[in-house]
Amino acid sequence: MSGSLQLTGLTRVHTAGAPPALDDLTLAVPAGSCVAVLGPSGSGKSTVLRLTAGLDAPTRGTVHLDGRDLAGVVPERRGMAMVFQRPLLFPHLSVRDNVGFADRVRGLPRREVRERAEHHLELVQLGGFGNRPARALSGGQAQRVALARALAAEPRVLLLDEPFSALDTGLRQEMHELLADLRLRLAPTVLLVTHDPAEADALADTVAVLDAGRLQQLGPMRELYARPRSLAVSRLLGGRTEVPGTVTGGRHRSALGDLELPAPAPEGPGVLVVRPEAVTLVAAADADARGTVVQVRRRGLRALVTVEVAGRGTEPAAVAAELPPGAEVPVGAEVGLRIPVTARCVVPPAGLSEARDGASAHDRQR
Amino acid sequence: MLVSRLGRGALAVWLVLPLVPLLLWAAADRWSAPALLPQAWGTTGLAEARAAGAGPAAVRSAVLGTAVAVLATPLGALAGRALTSGALRAPGLVFAVLLSPLVLPPFAVALGLDVLLLRLRVPAEVGLVLLLTVAAIPYTTVVMRAAYAAHDRHHDEEARLLGASAWQVVRSVHLPLLAPAVAGAAFLAFLVGWSDYVVTLLVGGGRLVTLPLLVGAAASATGNDAQVAVLALSAVLPPVALLVVIGSIGRRARR
Repeated sequence: MSGSLQLTGLTRVHTAGAPPALDDLTLAVPAGSCVAVLGPSGSGKSTVLRLTAGLDAPTRGTVHLDGRDLAGVVPERRGMAMVFQRPLLFPHLSVRDNVGFADRVRGLPRREVRERAEHHLELVQLGGFGNRPARALSGGQAQRVALARALAAEPRVLLLDEPFSALDTGLRQEMHELLADLRLRLAPTVLLVTHDPAEADALADTVAVLDAGRLQQLGPMRELYARPRSLAVSRLLGGRTEVPGTVTGGRHRSALGDLELPAPAPEGPGVLVVRPEAVTLVAAADADARGTVVQVRRRGLRALVTVEVAGRGTEPAAVAAELPPGAEVPVGAEVGLRIPVTARCVVPPAGLSEARDGASAHDRQR
Repeated sequence: MLVSRLGRGALAVWLVLPLVPLLLWAAADRWSAPALLPQAWGTTGLAEARAAGAGPAAVRSAVLGTAVAVLATPLGALAGRALTSGALRAPGLVFAVLLSPLVLPPFAVALGLDVLLLRLRVPAEVGLVLLLTVAAIPYTTVVMRAAYAAHDRHHDEEARLLGASAWQVVRSVHLPLLAPAVAGAAFLAFLVGWSDYVVTLLVGGGRLVTLPLLVGAAASATGNDAQVAVLALSAVLPPVALLVVIGSIGRRARR
């Protein structure tokens, strides 16, 4: 049932002359895996789904499903189903007829359509809801029905366009669990689009970060968190610490001092980025740098503190650190910062990232 | 609450009151001036109306109204869809052109086009349907444009992704969702054909007798008020019945 999807050099220019909404995206979605496309709004991530589904035609590039080029294949023959941000249930049909829609247009006998619809409603834990009119459902229920309707079409690729972002936090968690459970049972190939790193983390095996229509980085979420390749990726994943400096001989020099790097980095200007979870507050003697707490923000049991480190002849640096549960520190306190070597990552400064992206695109072509 | 009830009452009186004398006249054999109610009840009016050809005239009007509805409704739907699709460069201008038959005096347009139709040797019936269709398109366009503006195209896309062909999408998603609007547009177009007087008179040259023509002819003569009342009622009641049917379709769709 699940197919393997391959997008190659996919480009879409909406209006001639304007910058492309999607620029040269190459992405593989192996059978049975879940790949998330993560990006801010306007990054072109929904365009990826529309091109894949055949709702829009790519300006350049190809979509292959199980090795077959889908150019010119109409949406209804692509073997894909999509769940949008809004449930889009057909309001004139009952819940059962919504779920059975794909089977009905396929021409299955009425009785079989009915049985299969009930089965899929049970899969999303809505057994017995079949007779209700589609408009009589709550938001969360409606989105479950939309998911059941898409699964009942037995798509070779399931496309999810921010399917849970209109739901409140509790419901979203439930939907994440439901989808994880469905993945275990049915192993569908899933291409998911989201702006929420937590959602990508919860659902996807591999994450592609998209910004301004270009692929910024591709990899498992852990890797993106630990080794973002650009400031854009770091910021999108909630990175707060950005310390400008210079790299020489595998060490980063900045207001924080002279810090050893875990991996070789290109010589020259570079921005040190560190996850707040990795930074710990310690006694001055063991510290990599010392500074003053300038801001404390609550995050449930934990506190997120910003520590300002005065530089010698350089701009002061702000480092964000997440405290362990229950720990407190007042604003104005002098603290030591410990930044584990493995948590240090250097990315190109904002102006230079474009140039280097160009180079990496060039590398890929070769 | 009270105000809205009063308002509804006033509206009902406003709509029903003109029909009361019609109903009385239709069943009156004799009703002279000072009397509050007819002095003699009877079916003379009905018999006279039938003798004047009310039956065939009503059939002609119904055929004309249906033909206009059948043509103007899909055209209005296409126009409404195009106007809301964003594909047109100047939708405001196109909309104004489509609405222009409302602004131009029908008498002038019909007179001018009648000459053209005669020269082109278009049969009167065909010409009449064409002209009235043009006159009905503004109504169907306005209704369908509003419906398409509120219609979510993502429903159609979702249906296609679930495997429905373009035709299946139209049949099982598009039409059911737009049914109330289509019914409303068709009703308005039907009314244009059903109740037209001026264009029918000019293009038909008086040989094509529809119900409004019959009402007009009878009303311009004197001394046959009962017959006029019967004819007028037979022109009013079918659309009202149709409206009730369409209203119930709309209510079912909203449920």
